[in-house]
Amino acid sequence: MAADPNKFGIFVTSPQHMRHILGLTRAAVHAGKKVMIFFTFKSVHLTKNPDFYTLTQLCDLEDVAICADSYICEGFDNVNDVPRGLTDKQMRTQAFHGAILDECAKYIVM
Amino acid sequence: MSGDTMKILQVYKSEPTDDVKKLVEILNRDRDADEFKLYIGEPNYDILIQKIFANDKTVCWW
Amino acid sequence: MESLKVYILIANRVYNDGIRSGLGLAVENHYSFPVIMNGEFPRMSNYMAENIAWIADMEGEVLSCGADAPTDLPEGTEITNISLEELGERMREADFIIPYGLPKQSHEPPGACSE
Repeated sequence: MAADPNKFGIFVTSPQHMRHILGLTRAAVHAGKKVMIFFTFKSVHLTKNPDFYTLTQLCDLEDVAICADSYICEGFDNVNDVPRGLTDKQMRTQAFHGAILDECAKYIVM
Repeated sequence: MSGDTMKILQVYKSEPTDDVKKLVEILNRDRDADEFKLYIGEPNYDILIQKIFANDKTVCWW
Repeated sequence: MESLKVYILIANRVYNDGIRSGLGLAVENHYSFPVIMNGEFPRMSNYMAENIAWIADMEGEVLSCGADAPTDLPEGTEITNISLEELGERMREADFIIPYGLPKQSHEPPGACSE
């Protein structure tokens, strides 16, 4: 699949930049772009940030995902504690990151 | 890629270390390079998005 | 689908998960190059050793920049030393460069998390 020139991907690897993630997502949506976001490793703690739900509302449901293995490794319950704004289908593998690289014309690491 | 020269954007979430500066110097060589510092004041994310979409490649350092 | 060259830079001992993330891309048919910076090596569990070997099987490579890789790695597990200049030159050909997780800490880990 050729990358979509109007899609922007964010790969979140750090647990401390929610302000930038939200700011970039708002700006991208304002510019008419669709945003795909994947949270991995310790960044899954950001799902507990009140801004996480706000973030999910700026994107299509299927475009935000978290690494299920990371979520479990960090001690969270992937069945009874699905973050607000996600469904259990958005508990994904690193393949979602691969999809971001394939589908998004522009990309940033947070 | 637009034109002959690659356009590369270096984004910094914190003050770059000497290692990062050296890598950026190599990556930027013979390229049309720009930068954006996220660690100073209130970043203008609209401008950052414009820059990201205007460049061929973005590297966002720690 | 095009196979992409991806460099994942690991500057902090806590973030060697970047190797697992690199393997995730390798199994998606991308060329994955996790780079351990300045000696921030992972604890060499069987899981970690297998991941490093698997990345090599998938035509990627785990690199060490700024410190010599340990010489007592399990059989089949290779980490290749590379200088900062070589890394920069190689990354000019990268499709994606991913500084992973957090930067290097200014302090050595306390006893509570050093092992």
